[in-house]
Amino acid sequence: MPRNLKITIAILLVAVVIGFVSLKSLRRRIQRIKEIPKTEEQVRRELLGPQVSTSSDVNATAQVYWASGPDQLAPVATQLMLSADPVERAKQVLQALIAQPPTPEQRTLPANATLLGFYILPDGTAIADFSDALSSETPSGILSESLAVNSIVETLENNVPGLKRLKILIHGQEVDTLAGHVDLTGFFDLVSPVPPAPANLAPDTGSKPSASAPATSSTGRHR
Amino acid sequence: MHIGPVIVLDPEHGGADDGARGSNGLMEKDVVLRFAQTLGGELRAQGYRVVMTRTDDSDPSYDDRDAAANMYRDMIFISLHVSTTGTPGTVHAYYYSFWTPIAAAAAPTSGSASKTASNAAPPGWIPWQQAQRGYEDTSHQFADDLQGELAKSFTGSPAKSTGAEVRELRSVAGPAVAVEASSVSVTDPAVLNNMALPLTAAIIRGIQVYRPRTPQGGS
Repeated sequence: MPRNLKITIAILLVAVVIGFVSLKSLRRRIQRIKEIPKTEEQVRRELLGPQVSTSSDVNATAQVYWASGPDQLAPVATQLMLSADPVERAKQVLQALIAQPPTPEQRTLPANATLLGFYILPDGTAIADFSDALSSETPSGILSESLAVNSIVETLENNVPGLKRLKILIHGQEVDTLAGHVDLTGFFDLVSPVPPAPANLAPDTGSKPSASAPATSSTGRHR
Repeated sequence: MHIGPVIVLDPEHGGADDGARGSNGLMEKDVVLRFAQTLGGELRAQGYRVVMTRTDDSDPSYDDRDAAANMYRDMIFISLHVSTTGTPGTVHAYYYSFWTPIAAAAAPTSGSASKTASNAAPPGWIPWQQAQRGYEDTSHQFADDLQGELAKSFTGSPAKSTGAEVRELRSVAGPAVAVEASSVSVTDPAVLNNMALPLTAAIIRGIQVYRPRTPQGGS
């Protein structure tokens, strides 16, 4: 057998062996991906990083508005790491609103919803950009959509000082309605009871927060 | 000869838009059409002129529905809904709750100021997307009158109406409310079907509280 042919056959054999080993590894990886299916929302949440933390974070009590019965909202005192920066602080409380309802019955926003971005304009207009799931997975109806929007509005009002009004976007776009009923083309007034003073950003003094404040808010926002 | 204002009934959704859907197969678009037909029939029997934004499984746009109402100078707009959630057997009345405009003077940048100016309508003109703004108080009153009557017929319903940004009310140039019954999630569809007659009676009483009957001629 000529020497060149021997070398060629040897190279081919080595390539086949390497290919065989790679194929087994590739199969194992495909198997692993199949075993852990991830929704688009989960992947996006991982990429964007749900944990918002800044150097000014302090442990503080936030009033997060979740459902209290079928047609009301109520604030729940919730321990969170909150930033002094209003944009980061808004992201922190909204992510808690999505991810940490005390019970499934108190949930107002879909679990798969993600806050994609939050911005504050110089005139006090806040812009909250949510993923498609907020629109596609909120139950259709005036009652359920109002609860969803008002939980966002009231949570921002009571935890982020200085905001005047809110615009809700879905995946960066203005949409007609949340899920067929509540108009998202306009703005939502934010009447913050919290004065924009550094004192509000002070850390907890160590007192244990109450589990829940009294229900004070219905779905209706009286303006 | 008819009495009182023209009543525009708006059964929401229709066509490809089912609205709320229950696991029992109930679809909001079908239930509200039946509600509207029952209510419309009774209103006509009592001498009212009734206009329906749809009478079949079609889906007019929000603007088409509002335009149908705005053809009449003296009208009342009632949009009918069934929710996905809420306590079964309760009914809520809603009026459109507008946001507060930020004054041009408060806008700190020239960009914001110019945007405000470009959105302003010429004097005497009403922007289509805010046609309801001038009727917020009258709609609120009508919604309260309706809610008061609904609460008498449907135990557990609130005593007062609720402000909400209900899309199809936004461009109606007249008193406009949305009435939403709970819910398509009932285990027995008969619960919703049985609401049609008391809902009709309560809405007609609400109309009469808001606008006591006065005979009118023509259209």
